[in-house]
Amino acid sequence: MSVKRKNKIDNGIAETEEALFMGNHAVVQGLLEAGVGFTAAYPGTPSTEIQVRLAKLHEKGQLYFEYSVNEKVAFEISAAAALSGVRSAVIMKHVGVNVASDAMMALAYFGVQGGMIIVAVDDPGCQSSQNEQDSRFWGKFAHIPVFEPSTPQEIRDVIPKIYELSEKYNMLCMLRMTNFTSLSTGIVKHKPIEENLSWNGEFVREIKYQIPARYLLHKGLHKSLKALAKDPLFEEFISLKESSSSSERLIITHGAIYPIVEYMAELYNFNGDILKIGAIFPLNEEKIAEIVKKYKYIYFVEELEPYLETEILAIIGRNKLNVTVFGKEKLQIPYENSLRPDALKEAFSRIVADPNDDSVFYEIPDPSPLPKIFDSEELLIPRTLPRLCDGCSHRGAFYSIKKATGEDFIIPSDIGCYALGQVQPVDVGDYWLCMGGGLGTALGMSKVNGKKVIAIIGDGTFFHAGMPALLDAVEYNHNITLAILDNSLTAMTGGQPSPSSTTWKRKNFNPINLEEVVKGLGVKWIKSVQAINVKENVKIVKEALEYQGPSVIIFKGECVVNKLRNMKTPVKPLSIDQDLCTQCGNCLIDFACPSIVKEDGKIVIKQDTCTGCGYCAMVCPVKAIK
Amino acid sequence: MKKNKETLNIAFLGLGGQGIITLAKMIAESALDTGKKVCYNEIHGLSQRGGSVQSFLRLNEESSPLFASSDVDLVIGLEKMETLRYLYGIKGHKPKVILLDYFEIRNTNYFGLEVFPEEEEIDKEIRERAEELYIFDSENFKKQFKGNFIPYNVGIFSALTTFEELGITEETGEKIVKKLLGKNILLSQVNKKAFKEGKKWIKKI
Repeated sequence: MSVKRKNKIDNGIAETEEALFMGNHAVVQGLLEAGVGFTAAYPGTPSTEIQVRLAKLHEKGQLYFEYSVNEKVAFEISAAAALSGVRSAVIMKHVGVNVASDAMMALAYFGVQGGMIIVAVDDPGCQSSQNEQDSRFWGKFAHIPVFEPSTPQEIRDVIPKIYELSEKYNMLCMLRMTNFTSLSTGIVKHKPIEENLSWNGEFVREIKYQIPARYLLHKGLHKSLKALAKDPLFEEFISLKESSSSSERLIITHGAIYPIVEYMAELYNFNGDILKIGAIFPLNEEKIAEIVKKYKYIYFVEELEPYLETEILAIIGRNKLNVTVFGKEKLQIPYENSLRPDALKEAFSRIVADPNDDSVFYEIPDPSPLPKIFDSEELLIPRTLPRLCDGCSHRGAFYSIKKATGEDFIIPSDIGCYALGQVQPVDVGDYWLCMGGGLGTALGMSKVNGKKVIAIIGDGTFFHAGMPALLDAVEYNHNITLAILDNSLTAMTGGQPSPSSTTWKRKNFNPINLEEVVKGLGVKWIKSVQAINVKENVKIVKEALEYQGPSVIIFKGECVVNKLRNMKTPVKPLSIDQDLCTQCGNCLIDFACPSIVKEDGKIVIKQDTCTGCGYCAMVCPVKAIK
Repeated sequence: MKKNKETLNIAFLGLGGQGIITLAKMIAESALDTGKKVCYNEIHGLSQRGGSVQSFLRLNEESSPLFASSDVDLVIGLEKMETLRYLYGIKGHKPKVILLDYFEIRNTNYFGLEVFPEEEEIDKEIRERAEELYIFDSENFKKQFKGNFIPYNVGIFSALTTFEELGITEETGEKIVKKLLGKNILLSQVNKKAFKEGKKWIKKI
């Protein structure tokens, strides 16, 4: 039995206005035009702009949006809407899908009543992530159709179509983007939507949600995927760009880098056709075999993993097609990093020069994980390393931890601004793994290495994935100290509310008291301190480290970006009294605020960047900073 | 390699917080206003925290905002070291360069260096790698403004109205500054002034 949706959906592509939209904003426009009333997310760059805009629409009352505690909860909330016949969307970065995947894999079996899209934004080149995993694989793994538009206009255009297919086949769908498609801006023809969208639905029990013999649903899923692959609307997502002359050569590529491939083909006068696959999963075998068999040379140009290469090679094999294939497996296209035009130069010049050139085009780079100091040794251009902001409150906590621990401690860090504490010269933190992974590994580190371990986590990450590990620490009396750096914000992604945010204006919400949560998890030793009291905090960190069993220190300090944003009076920069300064370097090297630099042999504070936070004054042993 | 004559490829380089993305946006909005095709991309990773920011914009083009470095026509640099980093990667081609006369002094301890490269050295390298070099005089521009907020990006946008190839008239420019940066009453005054003053402070070297 199907449930009626309340919103009238116009899936036509009526257009009344042109405006500049970045890919992320085009997603929101597409959702509005598809009448999506229910959305949830956990902040994660490069998907953040989608969420920020949805949060604003929620404040206006146009739709429902929430920053959920983590991606799994965000997914489940949206899934409930879809199961109740409401069109929904859940937005996250690529690694967020790992967190949500437990629910996602099972919901695929249920199917949906209202259309549902999971938006996954990948980060090739790891501009702001711990890895560059390729979300296209989720399609085959979870049995969900995966769509990959190329430009902001396409993103806006395809979303209503995806909802149509999602409802026609009752399937959860994935919209896969990358940092290229999400952060590219273009002119988008669109229809402005002003009306409020309803998110009221009605859940109807179905026997299939309850039965244990889920393999039957698995069977049905395969049947639906076969039917979907041949749907005329789905077939639109595969398009062939033919060159004027009939060619023997074909590039096969996917939506997320199609514009770059098209540009490179033009730049290098590539004499051949380009097959753009805008729906990664499922592939229509007959259609692809039909296209491929017309060519002699096939070039797979893909960003990240050779997904299409592997899948289409299988199609070529099953259909006994006689073609010569080029791609990643033969090291003719770089495997790693984002494929910006410069990365494809070598490949394109070789492909164009000689279609029979079957040699290796690029060497596997030196696997040394050590970052280079210089981009160029010859010219001494140092890398511009990311760093904590001028006036960041975390720097105060790091200073206290550094002075209290010395060299002997293992210090697992986590995902958030404070991961930047690992960068020289702050140098606090040994590794960062995944959300909550610092605390989880700290428990094992302490057991195996036989000593106290101090883990660092932020408030947002603690709520997201740190709580279960802390519970485990209490349950088994693991000998760890947890430093929670509480700036009451999800700061790394530009400043979204965390569950404990009180400064953030939100409708109908209860800020969570962090101390009470920690106490509630059973921690006996807990202290809450102001991060700016750097000297007293050194003693407190030492006490926490001496305690046998789990101890927690909460360092409180507002995010400086948020503070400056809300400041009513101008910033008063500090300066160093050169008569008092002994050049000890405590502020320059140990505290290491970027506003403190050495100029003409003297340590000075840059007046145009100092935020007047006052932390460095607390660090100075001779009180020279005022 | 084939060069599309109609398309103008622009690279913007600098540091987080300088307003690079806003500058690219102002140019894109001007293009839209005059009925031209345009697209741009931003690469900012951890930009708010002092990292590199790059933006790439193509006029009269709507599909890929990214282009090969050897295909760049105009480089707009808001910080010298970041500008040189990009110019250094271009092989066998010299673009036109518009440079904000600004060099950020950085804490060398972040780089594990004894000293940071000298500004004069960077200047020399940039000059050698530019077909034509235009310098935006940051010191004299700065004098027009009190306080910490110096809208260099709007100043440069104003200077760009004097470059014919971009096709941005003063009227369009003024309208766009108002549209994008006119919401905050206090800052909109500063930006208006920056747009009026900016074009005075650019000169060809």
